[in-house]
Amino acid sequence: MGSAGAAYIWSMRGAFAGLAVFVLLLQLLPLETQPRRWVAPDILLALALVWTMRRPDIVPVALIALVFLLADFLLQRPPGLFAGLVVVATEIARARHDDIRETLFLFEWLTAAALIIAVFVAYLIILAIVSPIPISAGLLLLQAVLTIVAYPLVVGLSQSIFGIRIAAPGEVDEKGRRL
Amino acid sequence: MAKDRTPQIDYAAPLRRLLVALLVLVLFAVFLLWRIDSPRVERIRAEITDRVVPSFSWVSAPVTGLAHIVADFRSYQRIYDQNQELKRELQQMKAWKEAALQLEQENARLLDLNKVRLDPKFTHITGVVMADSGSPFRQSVLLNVGARDGVKDGWATMDGIGLVGRISGVGRETSRVILLTDTSSRVPIVIQPSGQRAILAGTNTARPLIELIDDPSSIRPGDRVFSSGDGSVFPAGILVGEVTQSTDRRLRVRLAADYERLEFLRVIRARQIEVIEDPGTLIAPVPETIAQDLPDG
Repeated sequence: MGSAGAAYIWSMRGAFAGLAVFVLLLQLLPLETQPRRWVAPDILLALALVWTMRRPDIVPVALIALVFLLADFLLQRPPGLFAGLVVVATEIARARHDDIRETLFLFEWLTAAALIIAVFVAYLIILAIVSPIPISAGLLLLQAVLTIVAYPLVVGLSQSIFGIRIAAPGEVDEKGRRL
Repeated sequence: MAKDRTPQIDYAAPLRRLLVALLVLVLFAVFLLWRIDSPRVERIRAEITDRVVPSFSWVSAPVTGLAHIVADFRSYQRIYDQNQELKRELQQMKAWKEAALQLEQENARLLDLNKVRLDPKFTHITGVVMADSGSPFRQSVLLNVGARDGVKDGWATMDGIGLVGRISGVGRETSRVILLTDTSSRVPIVIQPSGQRAILAGTNTARPLIELIDDPSSIRPGDRVFSSGDGSVFPAGILVGEVTQSTDRRLRVRLAADYERLEFLRVIRARQIEVIEDPGTLIAPVPETIAQDLPDG
């Protein structure tokens, strides 16, 4: 299958980085300077989970770390904490890659949901212990739930626009290794 | 995955695991460093923001403009109601204008009588809002003026009418304004006409909370709130807003600045406030030549 060539993988890596920057840019637009009662789902996290779980060869762990560290810096989060948690979560998602291609989408979604909840709860607990700045727990958990709800949407968009689908069993890259 | 790369003996998997563990450790170390030495890491944050965000502006400017056009278009739909409302307000304003003119004349007369010298007018730099905090948990905006324009940490910012926030984090071309609504914002205020001093604390809602009031019974909804200049945090006398009471009967402030649309902000250059700490230095020091001439003992 030609789609697994090195050029394809690098271009998709570029696409992931570009997409991440685009999502960050949308969040930074100064459209809403009033405090909000609602939150948007963390699309970046959903994106990272979808791509690592479906095509672990496309998103190397260094790229994830870099993107989320940048996000931490730009979005006024304590730098490093969320990024570290996301790297752990995507590593677990990566290891689940073999399981999800033989099961239903529901299983994938549940795995992602568990990871998202774990990331947000760990983030909340560590911040509550360590950070001097109070953070609204309700808003954060709402964001976790919305991110889980948005997950299938991100799957759909990644599949239709970027062709990120689960490699079929037996599919190989150009060196003959299993994907 | 690496573990599937059989049949050759696989050295890559354990090595990779080690590198990932190292990466996670580095990330948490960055977080720990932030916790220990926050100012330094925040400076790095300002630096990174300074590099990245201005390069977004070619996209963000048209998108923001478009969104504003849509918002404006929505407001056209309510134009008749607005017109009526404005006419009513104009009537009230005419009465106020008359009162203001009279007061101005009276004030000028009284100042003249007292020979009062007012503070020199605050000078300011005007900046354009480039980005917001991007997170629902923090309330801040990024301005396109920075150290290059002489902006310093701690300066007050206002829109045309009221106080908006204070500068916290200055890059070369950008600076971040922590808004009064942010949970970490604390600003000393004075409530007129009772003259009570208090602290305005942001709560991540549109109406910040008034804290540390001596005598809450002397404050009524509708009282006007100004910055007080206590602790030399801010220049005194900038309008903040007016007191309201929320449904939980706590006193809050309806901000005068238009938070719906922060586009252009004034950064007020803080004057150096002279602090008199030691009464001895009020007397001019003895000139050295005289001091040497004085006999010992």
